[in-house]
Amino acid sequence: MAFTDFAEYLLTPTPAVIFGGIFIVLLVPVLLHFLLTANVSSLTNLPTILLVGPSGAGKTALATRMERGPDAQPTETHTTTNNHSIEIETPVPSSSSESPSSSGPSAGEHVKFLLTDTPGHGKLRARVFNRLDAMGENDKGRVRAVVFLCDAAALSDPDSLRHAAAYLHDLLLVLQRRASARIRAGAPLAKCGNPVLVAANKLDLFTALPGTAVKSNLEAEVTRIRASRSKRLLDSGVGADEVGSEAQDDWLGEYASQKFTFEQMGEFGIDIDVIGGNVTGEGPGIEKWWQWMAYRL
Amino acid sequence: MLDAFEIITTSGVVLWSRTFTPLHANLINNFISDVFIEEKGANAATRDDQLSSTNPPYKSDQHTLKYTFVKELGVIFVAVYRSLLHLSWIDKLVDNIKTLFVDLYGDQLKKPNTTIIECHGFDEYFDQQVRELEGSASKGAAAVPEGALPQEEPTLSGNLGDEPPLPPGLRYKGRALNGANSGEEPSAESTPNLSPTTSRPSTPSAAAAHLVVGKPGPGGKLSRRARKMQNAGASHGAVSSGDEAAARRTKPVKTAKKGRKWTDDGLADEQDDVQLDYSIPSQTGIAADASTAARSSAVEHVDSSTWGSTTTKGQFILKDLDDEVHDILASAKSKADANNNKSTSASGLLGSGLNTISGLFRNVVGGKTLTKEDLDKAMKGMEEHLLKKNVALEAAVRLCEGVEKELIGVKTGSFESISSRIQSAMEASLTKMLTPTNSLDLLREIDAITRPGPASLRTPRPYVVSIVGVNGVGKSTNLSKMCFFLLQNKYRVLIAAGDTFRSGAVEQLAVHVRNLKELTIREGGHVDLYQKGYGKDAAQVARDAVAHATAEGYDVVLIDTAGRRHNDQRLMSSLEKFADFAKPDKILMVGEALVGTDSVAQARNFNAAFGATRSLDGFIISKCDTVGNMVGTLVSLVHATGVPVLFVGVGQHYSDLRNFSVKWAVEKLLSSS
Ligand SMILES: Nc1nc2c(ncn2[C@@H]2O[C@H](COP(=O)(O)OP(=O)(O)OP(=O)(O)O)[C@@H](O)[C@H]2O)c(=O)[nH]1
Ligand SMILES: [Mg+2]
Repeated sequence: MAFTDFAEYLLTPTPAVIFGGIFIVLLVPVLLHFLLTANVSSLTNLPTILLVGPSGAGKTALATRMERGPDAQPTETHTTTNNHSIEIETPVPSSSSESPSSSGPSAGEHVKFLLTDTPGHGKLRARVFNRLDAMGENDKGRVRAVVFLCDAAALSDPDSLRHAAAYLHDLLLVLQRRASARIRAGAPLAKCGNPVLVAANKLDLFTALPGTAVKSNLEAEVTRIRASRSKRLLDSGVGADEVGSEAQDDWLGEYASQKFTFEQMGEFGIDIDVIGGNVTGEGPGIEKWWQWMAYRL
Repeated sequence: MLDAFEIITTSGVVLWSRTFTPLHANLINNFISDVFIEEKGANAATRDDQLSSTNPPYKSDQHTLKYTFVKELGVIFVAVYRSLLHLSWIDKLVDNIKTLFVDLYGDQLKKPNTTIIECHGFDEYFDQQVRELEGSASKGAAAVPEGALPQEEPTLSGNLGDEPPLPPGLRYKGRALNGANSGEEPSAESTPNLSPTTSRPSTPSAAAAHLVVGKPGPGGKLSRRARKMQNAGASHGAVSSGDEAAARRTKPVKTAKKGRKWTDDGLADEQDDVQLDYSIPSQTGIAADASTAARSSAVEHVDSSTWGSTTTKGQFILKDLDDEVHDILASAKSKADANNNKSTSASGLLGSGLNTISGLFRNVVGGKTLTKEDLDKAMKGMEEHLLKKNVALEAAVRLCEGVEKELIGVKTGSFESISSRIQSAMEASLTKMLTPTNSLDLLREIDAITRPGPASLRTPRPYVVSIVGVNGVGKSTNLSKMCFFLLQNKYRVLIAAGDTFRSGAVEQLAVHVRNLKELTIREGGHVDLYQKGYGKDAAQVARDAVAHATAEGYDVVLIDTAGRRHNDQRLMSSLEKFADFAKPDKILMVGEALVGTDSVAQARNFNAAFGATRSLDGFIISKCDTVGNMVGTLVSLVHATGVPVLFVGVGQHYSDLRNFSVKWAVEKLLSSS
């Protein structure tokens, strides 16, 4: 009896039934779509740390070392041609635990993140910055932090310093633009910028500059680049009337400051730390970097 | 001999490698960035899953690299050897190693978010391949191996030279037929049950081969049974039914036994088959095949008598590996053939109907895996679009090919249509092509040369830029524009009149210099002209100008040169001396954005004119304001030479010089107007 009643009710064109029907009809494709794409999105929802830097800095070497654990044989690496994410598990850092490492005893909770290794080649840089932009909106899978790796042994050469600093300048400018857009939108400062780690690699080599020298050299070079960029020719496609608005956007750090320092980026909620280390050989190792990353998750 | 073999992912991790002679660390790095990132010259169109032999070899000063690339897994296989050597089997090695590696570790490679591939065991497979291929190439000259391998091995590897080998069991079957009763019909027919490639060589005659290809019919089972009875060997059945372990154990011994029964006749048959059936046999493969065949029949008796005693357990293991390798290679080959066949024949009506429906659905919703058919039409449209923007045909075709190869097998994102996927892929490839390897910050570079830091050991000297190009493209005008920009930034500039050829050229420059002086004198600009009249050697004038600038403390020297037609042999050859004398920091070529000029040929010739060690550093594209959105010429230029565009001229005034923005160009190229 109840069944026929129910069937009768369903077949009567009451508003409730019509609306219910429309609702179901509209919902099914949407659900179907999410079912189809569900497995993809679950992966990208891990927090991401982006690993950038000029070619030969040791990005791939670092990423593989972090994946394999500190005790494994170092892997051979060659020029990277494509972004590649690596899933890494790290203990949740507490104030007491000093050295998080994948092979360490799994005392506390573990958290997974994606470390995205990127190519350092100049032609592929647009791809790296695109990646930074694309992930900006989605809060869960967005880039939490950026590690800028550079070869401290090469930085004493003016040309390599110039290339490394130019990359850093461009990277910070992209981050700054993003952050200032968010600040204008009224977000709290702490949530606007991404933390950046400038990691001075290859400290095992005796030609390597120490962390403090890396910081001052990079800052000095970025200052020079910033100055020459501000004086350079207009970009093609920029009309003379748009000059005023564009110019301010292209200036890195505190406006009209004489000297660029990493601290100036704090204005945009971008904290920059400089830590030395090395992937292979004897030296401070990668512990400090690892710790830095673990804290930023 | 091989120097090294490496298997590398696109993420830069070496999955497996074998080094015979230590190499310079940068060799492979340079190879990767030249071939896969900068896509230089002939190596440009190699980013897909093709055979090693079709990829042009990459040559460094001493080494030659042969490679192949598996796109969907992102794995590069590369072999390095001395350029002096001629290794005929190297392509085969690279391709076979690829097939083996993908077969063995494909599942691991498909796992996302990891770089760890467990492939320690691959050493043995590699060794086996090297042994076999190297052996096949040198057997003709060398003596028969010291009984380390069973007799039939040389023949097998000879075959490897041009076709994947047969599963050993099959081969044996074929021989048995020849030896025992070559006219037996059912046995000949039994082969169709297996895939065409593997069965072909084992058929006794060409006629039978036709039968095989043309009439895939049932009856394999029956005939197999018949054969089993005839040969009274349990091993045959075992081979066919896939119980390979058993087959391997029994095989060597059996071969040896049967071997005595073979006649030269049977072997000759084999060779004929090889020549008849293989469409692209490698010459060396056949030669090796023939000579080994002859040799092996001669030494057969000697060897087979000692055969039993030399067959130790160790060799059985060796044999296992050989068999496994051959099986893998053969099945990969037959799979490829099957795929080819499948793609030509239409699939079932119902199946295709369902496919179309789900395809349509996915077209809208996204998540569709792109195939060549999906892309072909859209790519044609994209090609036409690029041609409309004045991109040269050659460049447009190559760009589209690159994008197509990149997209085949890719899944579209949610709610993404094919054309928007193509659009974004084209945007990425154009961006990559137009982006210079090192972005130029001219002012910073001038500073680094003229005011080197205290830490560097260089002495200050002027920064030298020379401007080249064909007649009438606006060399002097663009040089003056650059000069104006430098003067605004308070550099001391010396303009050298290197056009000692065309009458009036020096006076024209003098007018520019006077104008520039007037324009910038108030802001403290400082510019002078260095000229030595007409008829002098331009290279000499340029060198003197640089020396003069060094002595007088100028920051920048801008050298104008005579316009020359790119096919004017005499004038073009003087450029090499010019570059050598003036030692410019930058050689810039001025090219027009206009259509109808043979700009690509011009750029190529100019790029090659400065000798082996020097090339152009950049383009200045003039008259960009006259072409609207049709900026395709600059794509053609960059495509043809790999030299980046640095500046674009956008008008008649001194201030109408712009920094080239890749984003601007890509937007113009892809805009629909
Ligand atoms: N001495 C020393 N060498 C290192 C260290 N870290 C990395 N290297 C070496 O630096 C070289 C380059 O390392 P990669 O990781 O391939 O460089 P990359 O940053 O990934 O370079 P691209 O992929 O081209 O952007 C390798 O030969 C490493 O062995 C280190 O801490 N000390
Ligand atoms: Mg790398």
